[in-house]
Amino acid sequence: MQEKRKIRILLAKPGLDGHDRGIKVVARALRDAGMEVIYSGLHQTPEQIVNTALQEGVDGIGLSILSGAHNTIFPKMMALLKEKGLSDLLVFGGGTIPPKDRERLKTMGVGEIFTSGTDTRDIVNYIKGVLEKV
Amino acid sequence: MCSVDELEELEKGTEVDWDSYLKAYYEKPRSAKTWSGFDVREIYTPKERVGKDYDETIGDAGKYPFTRGIHGNMFRGRYWTRREVIGIGSPADTHERVKVLADHGGSGLNTIADITYEMGLDADHPWAMNEVGLTGVNISHIRDMATLTEGIPLDKVSWSLITASTVASVTMAQYIAVAQNRGYDIRGLRGSVQNDPIHFRYCGFRPACPLDLSIRLGCDVMEYCTRNMPKWYYTTVNLYDLREQGITAPQEVAFGFGIAMIYVDELIRRGLSIDEFGPRFTFYVSCHTDLFEEVAKIRAARRLWARLMKEKYGAKDPRSMQFRFAVHTAGCSLVPQQPLNNIVRISYEALAAVLSGVQSLHCCSYDEPMCLPTEKGHLQALRTQQILAYETGVCNVADPLGGSYFVEELTDRIEEEVLKIMKQVEEVGGMKEAIRTEWLDREFEKEALKRQKEIDQGERLVVGVNIFSTEPETETPLGVQRIPSESARTQIEETKELKRTRDKCRLKDRMKQLREDAEEGRNVLPAMIEATKTFATTGELMGTVRMAMGYSYDPMEIIECSF
Repeated sequence: MQEKRKIRILLAKPGLDGHDRGIKVVARALRDAGMEVIYSGLHQTPEQIVNTALQEGVDGIGLSILSGAHNTIFPKMMALLKEKGLSDLLVFGGGTIPPKDRERLKTMGVGEIFTSGTDTRDIVNYIKGVLEKV
Repeated sequence: MCSVDELEELEKGTEVDWDSYLKAYYEKPRSAKTWSGFDVREIYTPKERVGKDYDETIGDAGKYPFTRGIHGNMFRGRYWTRREVIGIGSPADTHERVKVLADHGGSGLNTIADITYEMGLDADHPWAMNEVGLTGVNISHIRDMATLTEGIPLDKVSWSLITASTVASVTMAQYIAVAQNRGYDIRGLRGSVQNDPIHFRYCGFRPACPLDLSIRLGCDVMEYCTRNMPKWYYTTVNLYDLREQGITAPQEVAFGFGIAMIYVDELIRRGLSIDEFGPRFTFYVSCHTDLFEEVAKIRAARRLWARLMKEKYGAKDPRSMQFRFAVHTAGCSLVPQQPLNNIVRISYEALAAVLSGVQSLHCCSYDEPMCLPTEKGHLQALRTQQILAYETGVCNVADPLGGSYFVEELTDRIEEEVLKIMKQVEEVGGMKEAIRTEWLDREFEKEALKRQKEIDQGERLVVGVNIFSTEPETETPLGVQRIPSESARTQIEETKELKRTRDKCRLKDRMKQLREDAEEGRNVLPAMIEATKTFATTGELMGTVRMAMGYSYDPMEIIECSF
């Protein structure tokens, strides 16, 4: 019997923001839930992130932004993904992002935004819910 | 009009669940552990104090080993400094907020660098352009520092400059250069600079903070200030940022002391005596939500530091033995769910700081898990401090929890645990090795995972997160702080303009001097101050020193040296 392919997720820190406690914890939680996780490390440009996503053939990208740069970085990411024909990749995010901005980002095609105080199981369930349905 | 089904549904929705109501009535705490995991007993009695001499182990406030505080009369002599951190948009934006808080009874100025400045990037750097002013203030050159400090009597106020990375050297140079240009004698300047580049590698600034450069530049600032600015606190070793990684209270103290001792050892190696620089060595500490544990932690830290300075380093001046500290309430204890609850968390944390005899306090704003502090949020945080100071009576007596059987016992246990962890660090080869081999990174990661697991599994309860949670908020009460986009644009344009119009010949000479001083191991501060006055920018000053020390001019490795 053919084994089911594992879900592959790229977790990335775009820009100069150095808060990485959260993303590392999420990376571990996704791995523990059976996913393959590529963590980009700090200080990535949107171009680098999209290239990694292409090379690694991931099913989804999670961006962590706690610096307040979400309103410039997410739109740039979404435009780049479109340009590379990756519009159907799942994009989600986390960080210090006010409620109204979360809603606005979702209208741009970002799947979900998680904040601090999120149960890691909710993130796992969300990703599985979206990707296992496909 | 509702259908019958909908009516039934509505009724169900408003019905009280009496079973869980009764369960709540009989409910008892799930855990009898402190935040850091110490098991505690039901009650503590005089038995715990048998065989422990008061003067030797505790002592009065103002007396060695300073367990109970560094001043005999504590706040009766002077309140702690109410110092709210401010850093928002451009130097002019930040200056405005500084004035608002000063107008409302803030008693110490406190400005924080943004990520671009901490990384040592000018506003016109390709990596900086999108992020200028988002998390603090970017100072690209002396004119920015002049704008930030405009109209403020620098010889009278006490200013806390929060630049932690190696760029703290540039911050000092810019502050001194502005003060000198305005005719102030720098011997009279009062305040502090965070200047703890070693710890800052753990906050995402590794490119700006390689270990040798961190020790070199950190200690250049410490040495320069010791010799030239007797009223200035030249470092605030940052235990707070370490704690925010998720570690425990004893780890916070042990790892922080490990880093502090790297600076102390280097200053001694440079020929300074412990009593020359010891009295101006300060710390930045977290206060989390476990009130008694935080108080015990700080009391233990005071005793440990006093003994370390006296016994290990041979300090003779009691002021060198005093653990002086500022507190920042724990940002990581705040959550965006039911955000007004954060005001309550912050209040308890601030109470712990005051009960511990804090020298200077920053209360977080309740809105920090959503955005930078709004003006209303900032004011509310300042009011929290003022209510503590003026209404509660908690500052009448020095160390009011001293002598509590429980608090004394917990202080002893934390002290023991800190010593145990410091020994572990020694066993891996000392703090420099622990950093170099990434032993410390692994400790942080291990603890962060533990903290998350505790919350996910409900062992640690956070109201609004894993207990009494409600529908997510769609609004932020009191609004959201936005950074005006024209602030960043102006900042970038002004930096470009300055680079076009300054006198390049004079600048080149000064930069040559800086490079030579850096290469030949002389203190770089004097040359940095002079270069700053000829409009050398933050990125240029840092880049020049970096190259002299064998690093890339640009920490992001994009732009090249133009000298």
